[in-house]
Formats: sequence, C-alpha cells, structure tokens
Amino acid sequence: MPIPVFLLLLGVALLLQTTILEQVAIIGVKPDLVMLLTILNSFLLGTREGAFLGFAGGIIEDLFAGSYIGLNALSKMTAGYLAGAVGVRLNRENTPVAAGVTFVSAVAGLVVHYLLSLSLGIYIPVFYALFRVAFPTAFYTALLAPLFFKRFLHFMQIQGREM
Amino acid sequence: MRWVTAKRLFFLAVLLTVTLAVMRITMPERTWPAPLESKFRDILAPVQTGLTWAGRQARHLVSLPVSLIGTAERNRELKQEVARLKSEIIRLNEYRLGNRRLSVLLEYKQLMSYRFDFLAASVVARDPGNWFGTVTLNKGFKDGVQDNMSVLTPEGLVGRVVSVSDATCEVLLITDPRSGVGALVQDNRTPGIVEGVTGGLGITRMIHISNDAPVEKGQAVITSGLSSIYPKGVPIGEITDLREESSGLFESAIIRPYTDFNRLEEVLIVRKVLPEAVSTSEGG
Repeated sequence: MPIPVFLLLLGVALLLQTTILEQVAIIGVKPDLVMLLTILNSFLLGTREGAFLGFAGGIIEDLFAGSYIGLNALSKMTAGYLAGAVGVRLNRENTPVAAGVTFVSAVAGLVVHYLLSLSLGIYIPVFYALFRVAFPTAFYTALLAPLFFKRFLHFMQIQGREM
Repeated sequence: MRWVTAKRLFFLAVLLTVTLAVMRITMPERTWPAPLESKFRDILAPVQTGLTWAGRQARHLVSLPVSLIGTAERNRELKQEVARLKSEIIRLNEYRLGNRRLSVLLEYKQLMSYRFDFLAASVVARDPGNWFGTVTLNKGFKDGVQDNMSVLTPEGLVGRVVSVSDATCEVLLITDPRSGVGALVQDNRTPGIVEGVTGGLGITRMIHISNDAPVEKGQAVITSGLSSIYPKGVPIGEITDLREESSGLFESAIIRPYTDFNRLEEVLIVRKVLPEAVSTSEGG
C-alpha cells in the first residue's frame, strides 16, 4: 500500500477512534482500527514493511495523543512484525486466517503496550489489563478484519499487477 | 267594454293570481316541498343516484391512468417528505435531549454558584485507545481554562485538566490508571486514594483503606479536599466490592463512579473555588 494512502487511512481511523467508535464500545472496549490497519497490511507485505507500518501508525497515534510518545509505536511495531512473520508462512488469501492473525498479533501488541506502561510507572492490575482490555480489544478488532481484508487484498493484487 | 274583452281581462287576472301564488309557494326559502315536486323528486331520486354513481365511475375510469402517473410522482414526493420529517424529528429529539441535559447542568451550576465559578464545556474527542481515559473539551486558554482545574458533572467528579491549548483542553478522567484522587468514605470519613483502572472500563479503585475501617458495599465516596487540585465533598462514586491488598495491611474497594463516562457529553470546569467554600473545606 502506498504510504500516502496508508497515512490517509490512518488519519481516518484515528478520527473515528476518537469520536464515533465510543458509541460502539462493548463492555467499555472499542476496536483498534490503527492496529487493524497495521496488522492486515503487515500480513500481506511481510516483516520489514509490517514493523515499519506498525511503527509509523503507532507514532502518529502517540503524536495525536500528545503523551508517552513511542508507547503505541513500539507496541504496534511488535504487532506489525508478528503479523508479517506469520503471513509468510500462511495462506495470505484466506479471510479467517487473516482474522486469526489479527487476534494473535493484536494480543501481542497490547501485551507489549501493557509491559511498557508498567515500565513507565502506570500500574494496571494484570487481570484487568489482560481480560478487560487486551483480549476483548483484540477479539473486537479481529471481528472487523473480514470487513476490510478482501478489499486490502484486492488493492494489493491490483498494485502488484501494475508493478 | 265589450264582453270578449272583459273575459280576456278576467282570465289574465286569474292567470296572474295563480302564477303569483305559485311563485310564492315555490320560493327557495320555503321549508316544505310542494306536493307535486315532492312526488317527482322521490320518483327521480333512485335514478339520479344511479346516474351520479355511473358518472363518477366513468370519470374515475377515464382519469385513472392519468392519476396513476400523478400518484407515482406524488408517492415519491411523499416518501421524500416522510424521510425529511423523520430526520427533522431525530434532529428535534436531539435538541430536546440536549436541552434537558443542559437544563440539569444549568440547575447544578446555579445551585453551586455560592461555591464554584463554573465554565460549561462539551466533549469533542476521546482517547483513541482502550488503556487510558482522556477527553478533549471545547474550552481553552481563551476561556480562562488552566492546568489542574477540576471537571465535574451534576452526578459527580469527572477529572482534571492536564493540558490546555487556545481553544481546547485535555481532561484526565478519574478512570485513567494515571489518575489519583484523595478521597473519603462519606459515612465514616475513612480516607483513601481513588485510582483509575483502565480508561474504557468506567470503574475506579480506592486503595490504602485501613483494614479495621468500617467500610461496606454501597457507601458513597467523596473527594477529601486534601490535595490542592480537587475541591472537598464532590461525589465520586459508590463502593461495589471490597478486597484485601497483597500487603495484608490495607483493603481496596472497587468504586463505580456516579458519572457515566461512556455517555459524557457536557461537563463543568471549576475555574475558581470561591472564598466561602475554601474556608469550609479547610482541614477536610
């Protein structure tokens, strides 16, 4: 995916996350669209691109939030790298596989976020961190993967043919 | 006068008299029908009814295709009108609900005006993630907002201002894990610190409660006023659960805040705690 398109989608995702997505929160958890965008692209592109997209998406989210700059960058970079690494070993055109990879990579990214928060002195009880934030967020995000994956795949295939 | 002329005059007089009489009898203002007319009308009525019905049916039959074209157009217009009116109803309903919320806010503002100088603000954005709890308000430096000002709703404490720009400010909610509020259990004045858990969960924890303190579920927790940030006596929430802390020396309580953080739309920023209120909150 060309960087300008990725940045544009990222901006839209961030705007949605700070406004409308609060209305679709379930048990206080909303899907992480930046994570979804990063993981699906990384799954299709590989580890290096995945880590880069994750870092880029995360740093923009951090700049948007204005504090702890690097926290989301590192956690999303982890998720992106993992999705890219898994992507080269699996069927990249299968939507359920993409949803499963989204869940696992998002959990990994959110756990890294939690550990980094602890290192910054932000204490969150481990039960709440894992079972009320990390797993529900990853699950909710993975549920949205089938809505976007085929479009991303189609876009990438067209790009591939044009190159 | 000849006899013939007299006879003609007589008939003319009779004719005039009869005609004038008939004219009078058949005046439109009369309320009773003339007997002959009445009979005539009764006989003709069924025929007239049948003819009128037939005429209407014929007109309907002839004009049906034309009216169908018109109906389709009219139906489309009415559908558009219904959609527009539905949207109008939703918009008006939104105004009504907004008006109700603002009325409650205004009532609270007036009620507490002896204690606080409030500034009303609206939530324009929220934290993008699920870990932290921050909101952006549409008031900033230009409106006199400064760091560490408390933010409330009529239901209870919301948080404090942590950064300010010209037109907006960011508020750290009490549900954010980075937040800490000096608090008291209202009934028995047991002190503790209310901390956030995660931004999205909408619950908080009161930690460092002494083991022997008579704290129970259902008790209200309010701000202690010991910190320089939050004024004293602002409701925070209700105790829903009690747990022993790992050290064994203290208990912690789960607090359900009175403010619904998932439905936060309008808030009040405490620009100033008025002098009378300062004197009453000293030593709290």
